[in-house]
Amino acid sequence: MDERKTVIATHDLTKRFNGFTAVDHVNLEVMRGEIFGFLGPNGAGKTTAIRMLTTLSEPSEGTARVAGYDIRTQADDVRKRIGLVAEKLILYPRLSAVENLMFFGQLYGLNGGRLRQRVDELLRMVRLESFKNMPVGGYSSGMRQRVNIIRGLLHDPDILFMDEPTALLDPQSIQFVHDLIKELNEDGKTIVLTTHIMEEADKLSYTVGIIDHGKIVAVDTPAALKSKHGSESLLEVFLNLTGKELRDSASKNVPMRRVMGRA
Amino acid sequence: MRNRFLRNMQMALLVTHKDLLDFWKAKMLVATFMIMPILLMSMFGFMFPRTGASNPFSGQVSTPYENAPIGVVLEDEGSFALQVADQFREVSSSKGLFKVQDFANFESAREQIVAGNIKGVVVIPVGFTKAFTSQRQATVIITVDDTNPQMASIIYGEAASIFKTISARLSASIIAKMDSSIDPSFLSEPISVERKNMIDGTTNTFQFLAPGFIALTAVMGVLAGLGAAMSREREQGTMDGLMVAPVSRYSIVVGKTLAQTVRGMIQGFLILGISMFFFGVKAYGSPLLMVFVMLLGVASFVGIGIIVTSLAAEQETAQMMMMLLQFPMMFLCGIVFPIEQLPHWLQAVGKLLPLYYAADALRKIMVLNASLNQIIRDIIVLVLYSVVTIGIAMPIFRRAMTR
Repeated sequence: MDERKTVIATHDLTKRFNGFTAVDHVNLEVMRGEIFGFLGPNGAGKTTAIRMLTTLSEPSEGTARVAGYDIRTQADDVRKRIGLVAEKLILYPRLSAVENLMFFGQLYGLNGGRLRQRVDELLRMVRLESFKNMPVGGYSSGMRQRVNIIRGLLHDPDILFMDEPTALLDPQSIQFVHDLIKELNEDGKTIVLTTHIMEEADKLSYTVGIIDHGKIVAVDTPAALKSKHGSESLLEVFLNLTGKELRDSASKNVPMRRVMGRA
Repeated sequence: MRNRFLRNMQMALLVTHKDLLDFWKAKMLVATFMIMPILLMSMFGFMFPRTGASNPFSGQVSTPYENAPIGVVLEDEGSFALQVADQFREVSSSKGLFKVQDFANFESAREQIVAGNIKGVVVIPVGFTKAFTSQRQATVIITVDDTNPQMASIIYGEAASIFKTISARLSASIIAKMDSSIDPSFLSEPISVERKNMIDGTTNTFQFLAPGFIALTAVMGVLAGLGAAMSREREQGTMDGLMVAPVSRYSIVVGKTLAQTVRGMIQGFLILGISMFFFGVKAYGSPLLMVFVMLLGVASFVGIGIIVTSLAAEQETAQMMMMLLQFPMMFLCGIVFPIEQLPHWLQAVGKLLPLYYAADALRKIMVLNASLNQIIRDIIVLVLYSVVTIGIAMPIFRRAMTR
């Protein structure tokens, strides 16, 4: 692949917590201008990997280059070029949307009229301009997520990391977020999207990477993955690759009918 | 280099502003924050005797236990006994110290003490007049309610001092009758004691309590507040938003610390205001020096606050850890009681904590108008403490934040 187009490249990226290896020598490439679907069951290492790529967590081993900079040695350069839409909302509930956005905008060195204009523009984009002075704690989940998304866009980053941006949203909000992701991508932003909704990944991603037990088990376009596994849906491919058993559970699966029958 | 520093400071102030704005929006929190020091001072105000505290409205200086009910039992019915009892009543009421009630015998007075109706009883025993007329020392017996030792000693002291006054008057008149060329007071009391205070007017317990509480509140506000604020950001998820921005980690810590310092200082000054207005406390020293010491006191705890914050995974744990620190500090650092009341080894523990030095310095400035030179030992300890603990804390914080 053309080296110039790579915006994220990990080299044996590894993270251990007290002997448990959450991310295990991951080597991944994300191309400029694509939407990269980063998939994996709970506890597979997605969030840990994203935290390392966004400089929130230091790798135990290996490194990565994001937007051309090393996450370990050039963290501030990386930070200027990435945006984060985290699973836990990055918003102060007591502050209004404007206050939140103004604060974070200034952290990125924006200020004055330019920042105000940017904030207004973004609020208009997610259709929240008439609620902009209300505390975000009083918003619906959909509204909050919309503010959370534009918070990551304030400094117009090249790469946007989105960790489950549609979790817990209603269908209308999901549709809105999907359209927004596509629009941002059309504007040239590279987007790394983690999600548990396989349809979403299938619909939006150019490439998907599936991680399990801290290791990458597959990277390809959704279409190629489906044809390789002779399957109609990405969900089937995902379950083939990562197994059907519940994660984080102590015992082997007990047939549900047996449990229900006892009641 | 200089630009980088300025930018970091600018970012720190931005975080401070955000934290204060966030705090201001929580109206109930702000109200509680304001009420807390008022409550604290009032509670201690009613617990301790308010000698010398002046009423803010009438300006009158109060005495401890004004008009405390006390009993008098006249077992001796001689004329001198009656005369002394009358004088006791007169001095008591003119000074507003006691409200005197008569009892037939000690037993009935004792019953009233047990019932809580009177605080003590003065017995003028049989033979009192006879002793006096035969030119021997006559004795009165004072019994006080011993359930509250502090009150008991005050009541006893006040009653005894009234008899001392009466006794002095008597001896003066006796001596005057004997030989008018000699100064009666010379004969009755060749040495007299005069107390010269280091400050004007009368001092009171609040003069001791207020500086301690100011130091404690400023310090604890920062210690508890910093821990809570940091862990709240982490639990809320907003810490990631701060950490993912191209901002130095130090700016975040400095900014949050500044916000808590502002809060601590506001509470500290609230306590000062309340003590001055309601409890007769006077601040004799330089306000600027007071602020400086308060800031140093705060700085000496920032390191500890950051370490606790880094170790505690969640807000509740952080708050409990801070409570654990706060409670013993109130007693060990000479905030509520003078540290000299503690056994030597506990005094040593107290002197390991920077709050002791902050309270000591603040007290010296407020009460004795101490200058910077006179509190230099406290200042040096506080500076050393700040530098060392912050030096230890920063790497721990960095590691905790990038786990």
